[in-house]
Formats: sequence, structure tokens, C-alpha cells
Amino acid sequence: MSAANHGHDTQPHGAGHGADAGHGHGHGAEGGDRPGILEKLYIPEIVKGLGNTFKHLIQPVFTIDYDGSERSNPQKYHTPREGYRGEHYLKKDDDGHVKCVACFMCAAACPAECIHIEAEATPPDWKNRERYPKRFEIDLLRCIYCGYCEEACPVDAIALSTVYNVVSGTREEKVYNVDRLLAQGEQLGLSLSKHHYRPDGVPGAVPEKSGHH
Amino acid sequence: MDWTQFALKLIPVLLVFGAILNIVPFLVFLERKVCAWIQNRVGPNRVGLLGPDSPLEILGIKTGKVRILGGLLQPLADAIKLFTKENFTPKGADRTLFLLAPFFALLPPLLAFVVVPVGADFVFADGTVLKLQVADLNVGVLWILSVASFAAYGLAFGGWASDNKFALLGGVRAMAQMISYEIPLGILLLAVIMSFGTVSLREMVLAQAGWTAVSPDFTNNIWSWGIWQQPLAFVLFTICAFAENNRLPFDLPECEAELIGGYHTEYNAMGFGMFFQGEYIAMLSMGALIATLFLGGWHYPGFASLYGAGGWVTLLAIVLSFAAFSVKVMAFVFFSMWVRWTLPRFRWDQLMDIGWKGIVPLALANLLFTAFINLPPENKTPAHRQAAAAAVESVQAEKK
Repeated sequence: MSAANHGHDTQPHGAGHGADAGHGHGHGAEGGDRPGILEKLYIPEIVKGLGNTFKHLIQPVFTIDYDGSERSNPQKYHTPREGYRGEHYLKKDDDGHVKCVACFMCAAACPAECIHIEAEATPPDWKNRERYPKRFEIDLLRCIYCGYCEEACPVDAIALSTVYNVVSGTREEKVYNVDRLLAQGEQLGLSLSKHHYRPDGVPGAVPEKSGHH
Repeated sequence: MDWTQFALKLIPVLLVFGAILNIVPFLVFLERKVCAWIQNRVGPNRVGLLGPDSPLEILGIKTGKVRILGGLLQPLADAIKLFTKENFTPKGADRTLFLLAPFFALLPPLLAFVVVPVGADFVFADGTVLKLQVADLNVGVLWILSVASFAAYGLAFGGWASDNKFALLGGVRAMAQMISYEIPLGILLLAVIMSFGTVSLREMVLAQAGWTAVSPDFTNNIWSWGIWQQPLAFVLFTICAFAENNRLPFDLPECEAELIGGYHTEYNAMGFGMFFQGEYIAMLSMGALIATLFLGGWHYPGFASLYGAGGWVTLLAIVLSFAAFSVKVMAFVFFSMWVRWTLPRFRWDQLMDIGWKGIVPLALANLLFTAFINLPPENKTPAHRQAAAAAVESVQAEKK
């Protein structure tokens, strides 16, 4: 019986257990000391536990009920934390053209290999640009939302927003092309946003404080 | 055919068994809700009468978009699921015992409700008494002890007949646990019987309500409830009740994490449904027993004044007595659920240690102590009973 520490002791603790390996009058539960007599009796522990659960019983619930009503629209009432990695969006430069120069850095960095780019020469009237992506597709079902593409981009063209609950009916809908990604940025109002580098100097975009809905 | 007698017997049967069998699905729902609230969640709230997914829409009734009291029809959905699932017996199973086991789990707790008084007597104008008790056996508590032990057979049969090692383990553990907690239960009941002086449950409740043979009217005295006479027995009885019902923390026979389902692993559809219902009915019967023995049964403070008023107020008093009894039983059930989601499960050796090394000695000590303080036998030996009966007769003769 010496192995079972939680048996229901019927004798007072000082009395008969001298032969055992030290069920002493240890104090309390801090730091793994030997349990005292009141702890071994277990009833006070039960009462403490019941008080804790009762406190949780009358607390409000944490659940957000997705029942489709406006009251529980998660876009409005539940914004994830700063820096949450949701769906992608592409940014535009001041001339209104897509910032991406089709350098393939994001496609190379992506662990899931879900970015597919085809580069093309820009039309002559784009200033300071040589290439732009003719085809830029992200398969959001393969994406693991790690953010490496955002960190890898040298021109701050792609970023991850906090949008997390987009559903689709087919697999093809979730392969976003350039227009869709640009539109996503437009819709969030982040097309012209700029990201800073992390305070420790490691390249990797940290979103601006303002701008997220 | 004496229709009066038939009705007098039928009404309590309908009341007691109707109430139990209709409450059990809601207990399942309540358990899930209480569990959810303790864990800061919501619980089932989709299947309801009012709201977008209501079944009333099949009948063409529009029920709007707001979900009010959602989840109350969840037991109905559970029942439909259990009825429509396939019932099959495993290949190597013992067919007879496999089919028989759920009945043994379901019937004994129902039978235990037969002797429990659920409300005060209703005395008609011509003197016939409607007792709100299915059978006023004068061996009351012994009936409960003997019948409730049959539930262990159900667990053992289920474990053996399932042709499954883990179910067998669960069944064996269930048998051992129930037997080792029946014994302190019996010893505690002995102490309670000794302190009330009677075995019949009806007499016990009347004693707690203040009705004695010498002064046959109820005194509204909450201090005469059984819990003040036998506090240690109340605590130990509650612990044994948890063990008898296989409720956490004594959950090993059917623990869901280790043995999948224990003795009811191989059961599906209605077999599982019957085990499940049997567990909740057993919980209700233990609650009823605790309410009757320790919490005054159907008595509540203020009963005497309402009961003696006559006319419709007496009827109200009786209805309230049934309500008070229900509240006490449901308080035990809620406490049982509260403890279930608070405590971790006991290990097997810890469980047996608590039973044999902890509760049995304490129950025996309690019995000894009760015997000592009840030594001056007031109404409890035959000679004293005769003296008391003579006193009653003299009091009644004086009234006439």
C-alpha cells in the first residue's frame, strides 16, 4: 500500500506509519512536497475543485455561435490578433500597377509549393519596372499559411491578411489568381499599405499598426 | 372490480414512473449542458422547436430565424438515432446473456422507485387515503437494497457476453466495485434505520416531517431531517451512491478513455440506450433514496400550515410536496454531474482502498456510535412500543 499515496487514511497521521518511507507531516502542495493530512483526506480538495468548477459554470461562455446571424458575424466581432496569418493579398504601387516583379522568391520559399508564377515583360508605359507576373496563382488549399512568402518578398508585394473564414463550394474556387488577390487587397483597403521590418532587423514583414479592420 | 382501489393504485404508478421515464432524456441533455457550461462552452443548442432548423418546418409551420431555447429537442434526436441504428450481436457472443444484460441494467433501478414516497398523502372526504407511493412495503429499505443489487448482474452479463477482453475487464471491475460499495451502503443504512427506528421509508419520512404516533400532525421542523441525525452517514452514503452508479470519480468500469466503453462497448442502438437510461435511472433512484433518508423526503418548511388549512390549500401543499421531493432529487443529480466534471477518475486500487479501508471502517464506527447514543430506547423495543401505543389511545380517548 505504500505505493498508493491517495488512499483514504483512517488513522491519524502520526500514529502508525513509522515503518513506511516517510509519509511525514509534510506541508501542502507547493513544489511537490509530501501531502499533508488534510490533502490526503481528499474531501477539502474536492470542495476546492467544486468551487472552481462552479465559478466556471456561472462564467459567460467563450463560444461564438456561427449561426449565420449578424450578431455573430466573425468579420465584425472577432478580429484575430495582430500578425495573424490568414489569406493572401497582393499590393499595388502608387501608379496602380501590381507591385510584384515576378522574381520567384516567394515561389521558391514556399514549403508547400503552392505559388505558381509566369513572368512577362512589362508594357513600355510602366515606369521602373521590367517584369510583372502574367500568371500568379496561389492554391489556398495547399497553402500552410506560414508567411514565408511574405518574408521572402523583396518588394513588399505579397502579404497575409487576417481573413480566416472564407469557404468555397469547389476546389477550383480556392486557387486565387492575380485579379482575385489584388481585389482582396482592395477590399481590405490594404493595397497601398507598407510593412516594416522586424525590430530585431531580421527580414520579415511586420504589419503596420493601423489599417486592419 | 373495485375501480376506486384500482385508481388509488394507478395514480402513483403513473406519477412515479411517468415522471422518471420522461425525465431521463432530459437528464441526458442536462448533463451535456452542465458539462458544457462548466467547460465554458455552450452545449447542444441547435435542435429546437423555434429557429431555423426546427422540425416543425416539416409540417409547414414557419418558425422564424431566432433560435430560442435551442437544444431542447436534442433528446428526441438522440432517441430517433438510437431507434434507427442497427442492432447486431458480435460473432462469438453469448446471445442470451447479450440480449438480457440491458434489461438487468434498466429494471432494478426502476424497481427501486417502488417504495419511495414522493409526496404527502391525500386524504379524501370519506376517509380513503391516496398514498403517493407505489407500494407501501413495510420492509422499505431492504427492498431497495435487494433489488438495486441486481443491476450488477447487468454489468457482469454485458461484460461476459460481449466476447471482448476489454468489456470483460470492465464487467469484472463493475461487479467488484458494486459489491464492495454495497457493503458500506448496507452498514450505513443500518445506522439510519437504528436512528429512525423503522425500516419503512414512509415511516421515515413521516418521522422527519414531525408526525409521531403521539402527536399526529406535522411540525414544520427542518431540524428533524435525517441529515442532522446522521451527518457522517450522509457524506459516506453520497460517496457510496456515486460508486453504485458508476459515476465519476468511480468511473472505471465504463471509463471512456481507457476501456472505450467497458461493459457496454459492444452494444449499439437500443442496447446502449438501455444501459445509458439505466445509469440515469439509477442516479435518480439514489437521489430519491438520499432525499428520503436524509433530506426529509417530500417535507418542506411550511408544510404543516399549508396542509392543515383544508380545501384547495391542502391540494397545493401536496403538489408542493411532490415538487419539493423532485427538487431534492434533481439537486442530487445536479451535484452528481457537477462532481463528474470536477474530479479525475480513481485508479482501481485506490477505488478498492477507499471502499474497504476507508468507508467500511468509518461506517462501522458510525454504526457503533449511533448504537451508543440510541441506547435509551425510546420507541424502539416492543415494551416501549406498547407503552407508546397505550399513550396514543389515551390521547385519542381524551379527544372523544
